[in-house]
Amino acid sequence: MIVQELQKIQERCGWLPAEELRALSQRLTVPLHRLHEVASYYPLYRLKPPPRVDVKICRDMACHMAGAERVRAEVEMIASEYPAGSVAVDGVSCLGRCDKAVAAAVNDHHYVLSQTSESLRQLISKAYSKDPLPHAHWDMSPLGLTIDVYNGRSEYLAVKRWFEGMEANALLKELEVSGLRGMGGAGFPTFRKWMAVRGAPGQPKYVVCNADESEPGTFKDRELLRRAPWLVIEGMVLAALVVGAEKGWIYIRHEYPDGIDAVRAELKRAREAGIIGSNILGKGKTFELDIFISPGGYVQGEESALLEAMEDRRGEPRNKPPFPVFQGLYGKPTVINNVETLSWVPGIVLHGGSWYRDMGVKGATGMRLVSISGDVAKPGVYEAPLGQTLRELIELAGGMAGGRPFKAVALSGPSGGFYPAQVPVSELPPKFVQTKMPVGATQFDMLDLALDFNTCGEMGAMLGAACIVYNDTRDMVNQALNAVSFYRNESCGKCVPCRVGGQKMVEMTTELVEGRSPPGRLELMRDLGETMGLTSICGLGQVASNPVTSVLKLFPEEVEAYRKGQKP
Amino acid sequence: MSINLSEEIVPVVLEGQVVELEKSAAELLTAPRVKLKIDGIEVEMPRATLATDPNTGRKFPRLTTVYDAAVEAKVAVPVLCHRDHMTPVAVCRFCTVEVGGRVLAAACHRAVEPGLDVKTHKTSAKVRKAIGVLTELLLADKHPPRGAHLESERDELLSVAAELGIKTDKPSRFPLTVRDRGRDESSMVIAVDHSSCILCDRCVRACNEIRNNQVLGRAGKGYTARIAFDLDNPMGESDCVSCGECMVSCPTGALSNRAVVEAKPWIGAKPAATAVNADDLLSHPLFEGISRAFLAWNIQSVVRRVYEPGEIVCREGEFGSSAFIIEEGDLEIFLDAEMKHAAKSKSSQRTGIFGLVKTVVTGLAKRETKSPDVDARRNYIPIDAPVSLEMARPIATLTPADILFGEMTCMSSYPRSATVRAKTRVKLLEIQRNVLYTLQRSKKAKSMLDDVYRKRSIDSHLRGVALFADAITNNAEFNAFVESMRDKVKLVRLNPGDTVFRQGDLADNFYLVRVGFVKVSQGRPGGEIAIAYIGPGGHFGEIALMSQLLELADKTLPGVRIATVSALDHVDLVSIAATDFLELLSRYPTIRAALLKEAERRLDQNRALTKKGSTEINLGEFLKQGLMDAQSLLVLDLEKCTRCDECTKACADTHQGVTRLVREGLRFENFLVASSCRSCLDPHCMVGCPVGSIRRRSSREIVIEDWCIGCGKCAENCPYGNINMHPFPTGKKMADPNQPGRTIPVVQQKATMCDLCSSLDGTPSCVYACPHDAAHRMTGGELMTLSIRRADRLAGTKS
Repeated sequence: MIVQELQKIQERCGWLPAEELRALSQRLTVPLHRLHEVASYYPLYRLKPPPRVDVKICRDMACHMAGAERVRAEVEMIASEYPAGSVAVDGVSCLGRCDKAVAAAVNDHHYVLSQTSESLRQLISKAYSKDPLPHAHWDMSPLGLTIDVYNGRSEYLAVKRWFEGMEANALLKELEVSGLRGMGGAGFPTFRKWMAVRGAPGQPKYVVCNADESEPGTFKDRELLRRAPWLVIEGMVLAALVVGAEKGWIYIRHEYPDGIDAVRAELKRAREAGIIGSNILGKGKTFELDIFISPGGYVQGEESALLEAMEDRRGEPRNKPPFPVFQGLYGKPTVINNVETLSWVPGIVLHGGSWYRDMGVKGATGMRLVSISGDVAKPGVYEAPLGQTLRELIELAGGMAGGRPFKAVALSGPSGGFYPAQVPVSELPPKFVQTKMPVGATQFDMLDLALDFNTCGEMGAMLGAACIVYNDTRDMVNQALNAVSFYRNESCGKCVPCRVGGQKMVEMTTELVEGRSPPGRLELMRDLGETMGLTSICGLGQVASNPVTSVLKLFPEEVEAYRKGQKP
Repeated sequence: MSINLSEEIVPVVLEGQVVELEKSAAELLTAPRVKLKIDGIEVEMPRATLATDPNTGRKFPRLTTVYDAAVEAKVAVPVLCHRDHMTPVAVCRFCTVEVGGRVLAAACHRAVEPGLDVKTHKTSAKVRKAIGVLTELLLADKHPPRGAHLESERDELLSVAAELGIKTDKPSRFPLTVRDRGRDESSMVIAVDHSSCILCDRCVRACNEIRNNQVLGRAGKGYTARIAFDLDNPMGESDCVSCGECMVSCPTGALSNRAVVEAKPWIGAKPAATAVNADDLLSHPLFEGISRAFLAWNIQSVVRRVYEPGEIVCREGEFGSSAFIIEEGDLEIFLDAEMKHAAKSKSSQRTGIFGLVKTVVTGLAKRETKSPDVDARRNYIPIDAPVSLEMARPIATLTPADILFGEMTCMSSYPRSATVRAKTRVKLLEIQRNVLYTLQRSKKAKSMLDDVYRKRSIDSHLRGVALFADAITNNAEFNAFVESMRDKVKLVRLNPGDTVFRQGDLADNFYLVRVGFVKVSQGRPGGEIAIAYIGPGGHFGEIALMSQLLELADKTLPGVRIATVSALDHVDLVSIAATDFLELLSRYPTIRAALLKEAERRLDQNRALTKKGSTEINLGEFLKQGLMDAQSLLVLDLEKCTRCDECTKACADTHQGVTRLVREGLRFENFLVASSCRSCLDPHCMVGCPVGSIRRRSSREIVIEDWCIGCGKCAENCPYGNINMHPFPTGKKMADPNQPGRTIPVVQQKATMCDLCSSLDGTPSCVYACPHDAAHRMTGGELMTLSIRRADRLAGTKS
């Protein structure tokens, strides 16, 4: 209740005044510190009255590449034309609009700036005179991708198929055959997760969809939610039927208002069609499904942090084990799947596991959605078969922008670190060199990398949904500082290695960028990175140093130049 | 770590008791023990043990962790955030161990599993390196608590660093860029220095889980997260009850006793103090059973001093905040001016508010000559020590067997009641209030102090009780009386506000007051009224016990308390059980007669009060306005005052044109208590002055010395608004920012307050200037008496 009640107060007052919190504390009989813990944790909540115009400009990865800092400086100039304090300009973590960088929000309305601040001038003026702000127009056309087996229509044939006599085990078998894995980044086999929850003791069980897509460079779920919401809803209904859950939530980041609207409308339609509710298709099964709007923060995408938010606490990741499949929401067995993972399920139910499996190429299985941004000609969401090489993927996105040479890639947003066009054999795992490279090769051409979970795993790389491409003009130390700052900004602050380590990593990278890195510092950065990776509670802390350690390892010349104070 | 898997409830027998638990929980608790290895040492552990939620009393299985197994295997795993009595949160990651797998695990949180092969920092280089980096990280990110004297044993982070062999005297490998994360000194008791906080969550769990006070939480996010009270209010303004659990739980001193943070002048007193470490203290039997952590924590609150023969330990009339434990040597305790105690003996005999306050201030304020109504029969004077002093020869010897003296000054901020001088070479432990407070709660210390009373103090104490001294004049007979009482007395200790008994309660004991003051009050229509204040040497509780005597039979309800008695400050009572008391009466007819007389007098007074409805002086208001505590009020009699403001003008004339008196303030009955310093017994204003410029010199008035820096702390602390900030010219000039080329004088804010015109002849100018005899200086007690008299007079005219 706390999260929603705070959202209500904020909608009514524009912020969270202390007297409102005191009244809420009385009403919910919850101590004040509990309310403040939650209210001060999430970026959505304001503990001070908002400025008349509140401009937030994305500062991460693709937006950073597109000149977010310059845009911000320009907007600050515009703000200075207004009375002091009336127009506030600040940075914000990735808004999930990396394909149209630079992204910005004015009074919580989201816009893309196409790399200039001019469009903002008008919006600020409108907001200042309290005129209604225009809504950004988003493409609502059918996705036209394989994943949308209904091609833009809301049909729910897979649920109907289930009630025509599909057994849970049969569905699980199809999932196993398909080889479908978690598309949120971790790649955990979906059938194993569902089986674990189905077999776990304890009632009730829950199904939660993780639509809190917040990793810089990732925006594929945004498209699915907005343009094919029936898929994720049907996937959740099927998951609920398989594991025996009667309640589910779609946890959506609040920065996707278009997605929230689309899902809300589709939920209404599904309820009317008897796909969700107390008597699904008249067969006596129950599955209630609601939206849970995230009060914000990248780390909420970590599944246990997401559950903490749903349980009205600070969204800090839990210590694991126990895993959510056994003790998830309210300590009960819980399926938590990414939007895309769930969206593939209707197709697999309708066309069989082999349908999905056989979409893979070069020995890999399956298909996935990739968000491509950075220095490619056509940034956007693409459907790519697993096993496809990086070269093919970049070609899919129109090739390198302006035909410039490819310099580096981040395969999983900031979390997997940066890889150069040519990776020296010395920096690759021996097994990968033996099996994937010709004898005698000294370098591995990144563009030849087959993008599938196994190959990337063998290489020691992470395969996420965000592919950010860098051309030869990019300064990788600078990119590393930008990416590591993101993790520092988004750390929940719970455990020491991430909270303090993240800050120190930013400080030490800043030293490097400013050419004042003392001797021994790089070694310490590596040690710190290793410690953060080994000891942090959650995935965020464990990968937070990757942008820096990968650059230290794979871009030694650039690092050396900075260390000597000779900025490349 | 509660388990919440299944809804089916089953009864299980555990540790000899039947407990109803969820089925899966029961299965865990009855599951076979698991074998695992810690650094190669095999241990066998239960899957879970039965724990009780301290708040709900609910039983739940607490999963056995790798940390528990390491303890069993006697492998010391470093921990910072983990405490056995708290739910593990595993946030510091110092107990990191290798259990196989991609990442390391926190031993305090990871449940044991059969066959687990755990490698701690002792056997795993990977773990050792990780913990080392974490230690360096935290060391580079926190300050030592500011103002505190840091002992390595008190900072657990430094201890862990020492165990791991990390040099803390070398510069950190990390950039040292710690920002000032702020301090909060709004609480009277606990200081918070966020720059020393490592967010281990121990204080948060202490507050919410252990004490269920629900005040402390974490605020903000990420690197800027910090602990916060309520809605991030200053600690002193939050709902914090100052229980101190957070402070005791803090590993780094970020939450510390204010006494530690403030540089206390007593540390610098002569002779030089030496620090006493916790182990040293624990070897003293008095400290047996007291938490080592608490003592280590409060190391600044105990010092050892050695006095040579003839050196003065404390002087009668001085204010202080400490008590003394006698370790070695003998001391003399005496009253230095013959006549002061004469006045004292008079007042403490009285049962009236006048007596109460006067007892305390006599000797400080009024050095009057021999009072005509000195009670010649009084032989012993109670003082703040295990002995009472003989009137004729007010000197006694204290030895280590007396253990402790100076408690009343320490606990209630009264001036020292006697002077103490070293007779031989003496070793003393000087202790501050927080340590004494803890001692008084320790069973062992209490029984030792009770013993001291029975063995050493009872004789002089009973001789100091006029009731007994008057009744038994023969010395041999008195000795026999003391012997008979020795095993029958019990010491009772009360905190301010505690109730001894309530009107209407059944009576069980008779009480003698040894230390402090109690208030006797009765509930009446229109509110509670105080009947009497009883101080050292006084007694109460006899009426209800004597109600069965024929003489009182129809005067009071049998066996029922006729009034409520509660403690006004830290009070020590001696209680005598009803049966022993009645036996005493039958054995000593003289005591019986004296008590009967006193009881009749009290009952008569009581009846008279009941008739005079107008004497219902609103005691609650009196106490609420803090008038009890006042030693020098400026009282304007509103029946006489014409509002001519001469008092204010006189004040301004005396003090460089700035008045320190505002002729406005709280009203009590028909008197106006003007906003002017009251010279409180326990002055709040003196707490927290950063430069020590607000202080008591040698007598009761509080002065602000001219080195005041104008911070405004004292003005903020004075509950009565009697300190004002005023700009004073400094004689310097500066360029006028508005009119270039011109200069303006530099002024400095300074605190001002009434100094009772101490620089003049002693009569405050305001009182002197009043043309209508409406302005008077008096104590709170005198104001009360005046109000009662006026109310009585009014009642008289009406009837």
